[in-house]
Amino acid sequence: MTALWLLFLSLGAAGVALCLARAAAGPTTPDRVVGVDGTVTISIALMVLLSSFFDRQIYMDVALVYAVLGFIGVLAVARYMERGV
Amino acid sequence: MRAFVSFSVLALIVVGLALSLSHVPFGKDRMQVANYYLDHGVADTGATNLVTAVVLNYRALDTLGEVTVLFIASLGLGVFLSWPKKKEGTQEEGKRELPEASLIVRRGSQFLFPLIILFGGYIFLHGHLTPGGGFQGGSVIASAFLLMFLGNNAYRLRHTPLTVTESLAGITFVVVGLIGLGVGGYFLNNFLPKGSMFSLFSAGVIPILYSAIGLKVGAELSGIVANMFESRSER
Amino acid sequence: MIYIAILTVAMLIAGLAAYFFRDLIAAVVACAAVSLIASVLFYLLQAPDVAMAEAAIGAGLTTAIFVIAIRKTGRYEK
Repeated sequence: MTALWLLFLSLGAAGVALCLARAAAGPTTPDRVVGVDGTVTISIALMVLLSSFFDRQIYMDVALVYAVLGFIGVLAVARYMERGV
Repeated sequence: MRAFVSFSVLALIVVGLALSLSHVPFGKDRMQVANYYLDHGVADTGATNLVTAVVLNYRALDTLGEVTVLFIASLGLGVFLSWPKKKEGTQEEGKRELPEASLIVRRGSQFLFPLIILFGGYIFLHGHLTPGGGFQGGSVIASAFLLMFLGNNAYRLRHTPLTVTESLAGITFVVVGLIGLGVGGYFLNNFLPKGSMFSLFSAGVIPILYSAIGLKVGAELSGIVANMFESRSER
Repeated sequence: MIYIAILTVAMLIAGLAAYFFRDLIAAVVACAAVSLIASVLFYLLQAPDVAMAEAAIGAGLTTAIFVIAIRKTGRYEK
């Protein structure tokens, strides 16, 4: 069981690392935005997994806040790009 | 010379810090207040979330100060953005047409708006049971208004309801504190019955105070967002 | 423990990037990354209240307010 948890969390950490590398390396600004947005999505999954791992289901509210609000920053930058803000 | 003076002042600070820290016994538990909160907090306040118990029962006066700081920040931004500008002939090239957002963003923002407001209300109403509270719920509510501003170009927020909500919430906080002063002998006394644990109506006045804080913070941050969006076209 | 150290270093790098970027939109995105990593760190250190405050403020509000301010001034740092 512990090996399974370790596999899940390592996969999530690898996803976070790859997305952050894309955000750091990306030559243009939209690349960085998409990299950070991918990091947000994988972090939500990691938070849900960790709340089950810590056995504190009440911690899932934090992941819910990010899931509800995580796209607004990306939307603001995208509206700036199409000169809408 | 200046380098010597600054270096000597820095050395003085370092020596003073080292001398005063050397009197602290190493390895002993010095957190008597925190241990008291951990042992007696739930029984004293009836709030299951111990952070809420500290923020709104033991340290409620500091929370009133925090809310005041946020109010002053919002006031300052409003004054700064509505400051009369000097006419310098830059008005002609402004006022270009902003492109409308796409259909999915417009309809999606209108669909998500009440759901996000509901989620913010859930966060500050359950502040004494689950993580979260007034400040977090207020930020979520302001984010809902921000989403409406981003999605709809013609969206405008009337400032009078925001001001009324904010003032009523602040007055509620102080009045509850004064009733506690009259009933129990000190400001913000928890005078209502504690109720049973893990139920919504428990922990005395804490849900009332957190609802007031949530509405106040939400109204203030929404006012900040509305001010920013209204001043954007007159560059 | 090692995850917390790695995340702290990543947060430091993102903060330095926010300082050194000439393109201010990229700097704002780096600020959003700092806020995200800080929230995950608070979550790992079992402080969900603070993590939720950081998430609610950093996810949408600061990014949008910075973007509007950049729209009113200029995108590139001189």
